Amino acid sequence: MTLTPLLRGRGLRRSYTLGATRVEALQGVDVDVLASDFLALRGPSGSGKTTLMNLLGLLDHPDAGTLLLDGEDTTGLNENQRADIRRDCFGFVFQTFNLIPVLSAAENVAYPLLLRNTATETMHKRARELLAAVGLAGKEQVRPDLLSGGQRQRVAIARALANRPAVIFADEPTASLDSRTADTILALMKQLNREYGVAFVLSTHDPRVVERADRVITLHDGVVVPEAA
Amino acid sequence: MNRVTIAWRNITRNRRRSLLTGGIVAFGFVSFALAGGFMAQSFDGLRNNAIKSGLGHVQFADARAFERSEQSTLEFGISAADKAVAALRADPEVAVVMPRLEFYGLIGTGARSVPFAAIGVDPAAEAAGSEIPKGVREGQWLKPDDRAVVLGRGLAKLLNAQVGDSVTLLATTPDGTLNAVDATVSGIAEIFIKELSERYLALPLPLAQELLTAPDMVSRISVVLHEPAREPQAAVRLGAALHQSGVDLAARTWRELALFYQQVRVLYLGIFGFMGSVLLVVVFLSTANTTLMSVTERTREIGTLRALGARPGRITAGFVVEGALLGLASSLAGTLLSLLITAAINAAGIEMPPPPGSAKGFVISVQVIPAAYLAAAAAMVAALALASFFPARRAARAPIVDSLAHV
Repeated sequence: MTLTPLLRGRGLRRSYTLGATRVEALQGVDVDVLASDFLALRGPSGSGKTTLMNLLGLLDHPDAGTLLLDGEDTTGLNENQRADIRRDCFGFVFQTFNLIPVLSAAENVAYPLLLRNTATETMHKRARELLAAVGLAGKEQVRPDLLSGGQRQRVAIARALANRPAVIFADEPTASLDSRTADTILALMKQLNREYGVAFVLSTHDPRVVERADRVITLHDGVVVPEAA
Repeated sequence: MNRVTIAWRNITRNRRRSLLTGGIVAFGFVSFALAGGFMAQSFDGLRNNAIKSGLGHVQFADARAFERSEQSTLEFGISAADKAVAALRADPEVAVVMPRLEFYGLIGTGARSVPFAAIGVDPAAEAAGSEIPKGVREGQWLKPDDRAVVLGRGLAKLLNAQVGDSVTLLATTPDGTLNAVDATVSGIAEIFIKELSERYLALPLPLAQELLTAPDMVSRISVVLHEPAREPQAAVRLGAALHQSGVDLAARTWRELALFYQQVRVLYLGIFGFMGSVLLVVVFLSTANTTLMSVTERTREIGTLRALGARPGRITAGFVVEGALLGLASSLAGTLLSLLITAAINAAGIEMPPPPGSAKGFVISVQVIPAAYLAAAAAMVAALALASFFPARRAARAPIVDSLAHV
């Protein structure tokens, strides 16, 4: 049986100008993200994994190539349409957590729901449930600056889950964490992947992430390195 | 959690910067409010001067008298003036009725003659309804049955006349003949416009009517009301009362007649508008710097919000709400500050020099004008919202990956 990919990128190219140098970050990458995937993008610094993830998450535009979401081409969408897709279909976990400092843990989790004009009571209930699911019950009213790195990343994961996304993109999610906390966070993401059926795309240097991944794509100098047979 | 609470938390996030921005806005607000209050006092003073210079709140005359000057004495005069005055005085809203007879002539002391511009007045009514009697600096104001005149200081000087001197008044009657009466100088009035001072002469109405051989005639009738705000309605009602008594006269309110007041008002509003605009630009530029800093510091946060699905417009709106909220809070602080400063200035009793056309200085009494406060608040809120809008819009439209990589 062949699964229809949730996201299908074909011939994705992206280049940057860095000072006087033109950097070919992606040079025609083909990639599929399947429903309930736990996909790791690995490669050395500058290999293009973050660039690829930014394109898959509609945070950036490819110079060339196509990106299909549920079979629909996303390349012609305007900024508002892309924002709506990110809000409704994707979740994001950042290396540095990127929580909103003026919001409590629960409010950070509820923020994506606020963007959908969800009723206040529903927002609060969902935020409480998700914080409990990531092991932060009782921390609802705590501001991010009073949480540890691991707790902040849990809040970020709960926030990514708030709108029941199809895919969560996690950019180096363990890079800012100690190894013990990183293990816990990885276990949590894997658990949520199984329980909620949400796909995870993780860019990483961390071999522990690669070990837990269902699939691994290796990038080098902007191209996918074929897996050894 | 809603936009306003999030905006407020962001304002309090960097207290020092918000206080600095708020301080600038509050200063701008206070400037607006105090200038508005001082201007209102000036307008009040000008209005009272205009009304008490003899215009009254409403004036009645032959319609032609409001359109052009008379070519001969009492060409547009009011006959049966007593009947008209009685009809007007019968109205309960009327405080004072001041009949006036205006004409030109020559005044002589025997040694020399000088032209004058005279007003025949009801001395008691003028004392009650106008400031003119208070201008008498030497001698005294007229009495109803006096055969006396009050001269402008300039006219007295030209005549070399003193209080108590006898003078002869010569004028052309409505039928074109010349007539003369003798009178005594009862007082000398201070008139602050030189040309007017050299022609000014006031005399009791009966004496003026005798000189012009025009019994029961006046040029116009000024009316002072108990309730000034209802001038237009009073003009209509009093006009109807006059009509019923058999006298048909046209009415004009003081606003239609006080050209000086209107001109000064337009001038003041122009100056205030210009200075207000400059102040607003200063507030805008001063706050634009701090809002730009605030937006720049939060570039990464903006990238995060956009990654989470916030549209650029929503992010811009969030910053605009922050700006507006800070403008509103600063305006509230500005209101309190304005009230305190107003109370302090008014309590200090600061004397100002006489305004143009007036002899007396005045004590500053800054008024609290709700409309000026509201306008100031609206201007400050708009300035801050605008100062937030441009940097926020730019940041919200920047590439998300650039925003997320911002350090």
